[in-house]
Amino acid sequence: MKEELPGKVLPSTPIDRLRLYGVFFFFAIGFIYVSVGLGFRQLVESGKLKAVSESQSRRIVILPPARGRIYDRNGEILVDNRARWSVKADLAALQKEFRAEYLKLLAAEKAREAATLDREKLQENARKYVLQRWLDKIWFVIDETNKSAKSSRIKVPAVTSPGERFVSIDDLRKHLRERRPLPYTLVTDLAFPGTGQALSPQDGMKAVARFIEQFPVDGPIRLESDIIRTYPHGTLAAHVLGYVKDSDELPPNVEDLADTKMDSLQKLQYSGKKGAAGIEETFDTLLRGNSGWELWSKTSAGYNQNRLKVSDPQQGSHATLSLDWRIQAAAEGALSKIRDPQGTVLPGAAVMMDVHTGEILALASQPTFDPNRLADRVTNTYFKEIDDAGGWLNRSIQGLYAPGSTFKIITAIAGMRNKVVDWDDILDCGPSFRVGNRDFPEHEPAGYGQVDLEKMLAVSCNVWNYQVGLRTGIDKLHDEARRFGLDTPLLKTPGDTENNYKEATALPYPADKRLVVPDPAYKLKIGGGAWTPGDTANLAIGQGYLLTTPLHMACVAASVARNETRTTPYIIHDLRGGTHPGAAPIGLTTAQYTALKSGLERCVEEGTGKTGKIPGLPYAAKTGTAEYFKDGKKAHLAWMIGYAPAKDPAVAFCVLIEGQLDTNTWGGKTAGPVVKEMLETWWPIAVKVNLEEKPDAAR
Amino acid sequence: MDQNRRGARASYVALTIFLAVWIFMPSTVRRFNREAFTEFQAPGLHLVSKSRDLARFWELKSRSSEEMALAGRDLARVNAALELKLASLDDVRRENTRLREITRYTVPADYMSVVARVATRDSSSWWNRIVIRKGRNDGIRPGAPVIFGNSVVGRVTAVHLTTSEVDLVTSPGFRCTAFLEGDDQNSIVLINGLAGNSLRTPQARISVIPNDYSTGTLQSPKAFTTGMGGVFPSRLVLGTVDLDSKATKPGSSFKEGRLNPSRELYNLQEVSVLVPLHQNPGEALLQGDQFQ
Repeated sequence: MKEELPGKVLPSTPIDRLRLYGVFFFFAIGFIYVSVGLGFRQLVESGKLKAVSESQSRRIVILPPARGRIYDRNGEILVDNRARWSVKADLAALQKEFRAEYLKLLAAEKAREAATLDREKLQENARKYVLQRWLDKIWFVIDETNKSAKSSRIKVPAVTSPGERFVSIDDLRKHLRERRPLPYTLVTDLAFPGTGQALSPQDGMKAVARFIEQFPVDGPIRLESDIIRTYPHGTLAAHVLGYVKDSDELPPNVEDLADTKMDSLQKLQYSGKKGAAGIEETFDTLLRGNSGWELWSKTSAGYNQNRLKVSDPQQGSHATLSLDWRIQAAAEGALSKIRDPQGTVLPGAAVMMDVHTGEILALASQPTFDPNRLADRVTNTYFKEIDDAGGWLNRSIQGLYAPGSTFKIITAIAGMRNKVVDWDDILDCGPSFRVGNRDFPEHEPAGYGQVDLEKMLAVSCNVWNYQVGLRTGIDKLHDEARRFGLDTPLLKTPGDTENNYKEATALPYPADKRLVVPDPAYKLKIGGGAWTPGDTANLAIGQGYLLTTPLHMACVAASVARNETRTTPYIIHDLRGGTHPGAAPIGLTTAQYTALKSGLERCVEEGTGKTGKIPGLPYAAKTGTAEYFKDGKKAHLAWMIGYAPAKDPAVAFCVLIEGQLDTNTWGGKTAGPVVKEMLETWWPIAVKVNLEEKPDAAR
Repeated sequence: MDQNRRGARASYVALTIFLAVWIFMPSTVRRFNREAFTEFQAPGLHLVSKSRDLARFWELKSRSSEEMALAGRDLARVNAALELKLASLDDVRRENTRLREITRYTVPADYMSVVARVATRDSSSWWNRIVIRKGRNDGIRPGAPVIFGNSVVGRVTAVHLTTSEVDLVTSPGFRCTAFLEGDDQNSIVLINGLAGNSLRTPQARISVIPNDYSTGTLQSPKAFTTGMGGVFPSRLVLGTVDLDSKATKPGSSFKEGRLNPSRELYNLQEVSVLVPLHQNPGEALLQGDQFQ
């Protein structure tokens, strides 16, 4: 018997030495394999593995920038950004609640002994119920009706705007699929919950304040503020300014990302905005600014964990328009007063521009829309409301109309330049004029008798123009209209002008390609047959195939005021106070030009435009009543173009109203009050500016 | 030695068992324990605070008659100045009363004011919380605003039987809306207490300040409560504003700033708790009521 040593444990059987070496060898090989592998990964592959690890554990969140402001020529803010307070749920922080709710639902299902257990659906429902409970609490706090919660038993307020009161399972599913790491938005805009129409701005501020002060600070519900486009003047210049819509095309600040070698990481972004119409669209690249980004580490479940790095977004550049908001408001206000017997606003347009610079002071179109209601979410109802009213069309630049008697200015100029008539020639103008087999009527049943140029312009005599138009001939008449640019695109987009924004009128989708100054070739092209003298007579009074826009006619008025043939309109204000580049002269003798201007002045003083007469402000104008077909029946367009003051023109204008079948629409009578209101607003402003610029003149 | 080791081991085991029991204990029991502990130490807080008051009383009592005479003279001057101010306010008061009578305007009493002595400052959150010597027995409810004169001190966050805890304006748990002096647009800005830092004066952050806001000629523009949130009455002073160009992100649409609370906040002896006469929704949420 061997004596056992205390404290030592001996193997019960001796181990075979060879086997022991074998085991050692096996372990040594394993150890070497692990060591070499570890070393290889640490020393050789570390860079690559680090990149893989980072790309799996980090992500970049792109932050949209604030868009630039848009001002009018006086520095009044037309488009701004306002704080939008939204309430969001941190889904990562709600995981425990989701789990508890899920287990509760699961237990209930099991107790019900349901045939099949759809666990995914149960999870979805659990998330929805939890979020709904939080949403109820938010509404409970922000709802004004809960001002005094006298009862300790809280009641969820009545549903008034379902869109914001309930968590939509589809929205939640979409969020989890596409933006799981980002917080889930429960209330998009605290100040304007729901459609944004139910509350006044004051009520909106109260809702924000109630949430901030009453809702618990700690917890999974976060208050976030971002910026949203706002149009402080509501519908003012809506067609010019345009609106913005959601965009996923938001480019990151690429240079930043390349510098930090993060371009391979997963990227997520909040919805940005892009211009959808008007200046917002044409100057989108300037206004939108540069996006920022945040670098986040993420949890294994895919939620954001810690913010590691941040690059702030940069606001876009500001734009200053040539518009004067006071004149614009006057134009829109005056247009909105012209209504049909049912009280519906008649479609129309009004333009006012500076004669010396070509800058547009007002560019109004009715019906219109409120871009504030389009800045976030457009409801189908509001979209349809605008669509049904024809509110999307910017009639000033997109509406194509026969100019009617306002074209008689061009007919008269063509006649005088081609020496078929002179300023003092008197033509016999009866109640109608026969061309071929057809009598072309005068709008005055008794006719005007002996008519010279001045009288023609004052009373808008048709017969004088039939005669002069036929004597001039279609070719010359057509050439004259083209000389005044009636079929020339006026509206250059920024891209056309190599970023020289001063050169751009820059409003999207103008009617450029659809402008028509007809000639025999055009009539043949559209299958209308051979050109007839009747067509020439029609063209002489601005009817027939001729189609142009109110802005073009305003430019004609501005050109006549400067004794030139072309005016280039600008919507961007030249802060250096530039002048119009100039154009070819009209080519009339002094006597002819003087008579032309005198006739236009008489139109307001005693002729068809006298409804627009303003005591103390003599101005020149030409009215027009053109026929157009609506639903197969004849209706009338009311026109008035001109410039003011008569002696030293400073502004030119054009007003158009689309008469309806049941309205009594006549040039001066319908359009005159709009012109009057615009000029009455402009005149005091001009006098004040004049006094500031030339103080000596005041003495 | 072995016995010592065994004793040490036993204490570790006991601690582990206690922690395990504590962790797995129902939250109601834990809450009860915490509450019980607070109530247990409340008499101590009262005693310490009252002793401090007594000490102050005797300190003042031991002043020499010369010192008292000087203090009396200073007080007389202050009194005279206040008398003058009061006289100038008389006309305003009379006009106010006349207008109220004409319009039959009755001032709604939304709050009940409860005056309370400060028992102690809670050092656990870097002096951003105070404990006052009034509690549930005195009608104080959680969420109630606490003021000193015309300045906001903070909000009641927890109420016990005879004491209440108040989060100061500079506490991270404090949040309210404000209007800034000199802002014609009256835009709402957000005030958030900043986390305490022992080496710096406690401050609060002001965010979402409109970009076009500037202090102009105002040396230290004030931030006032909006009165819109249903918690604080309007026009109470929150502190003075420092626009923080470093905290404002370049190209951002909003500015950021710092709120410096009034100096009294650091040396408070007495405060007023404005207890709302009607419970507001936020208070109901704080109390954890059930939703239907």
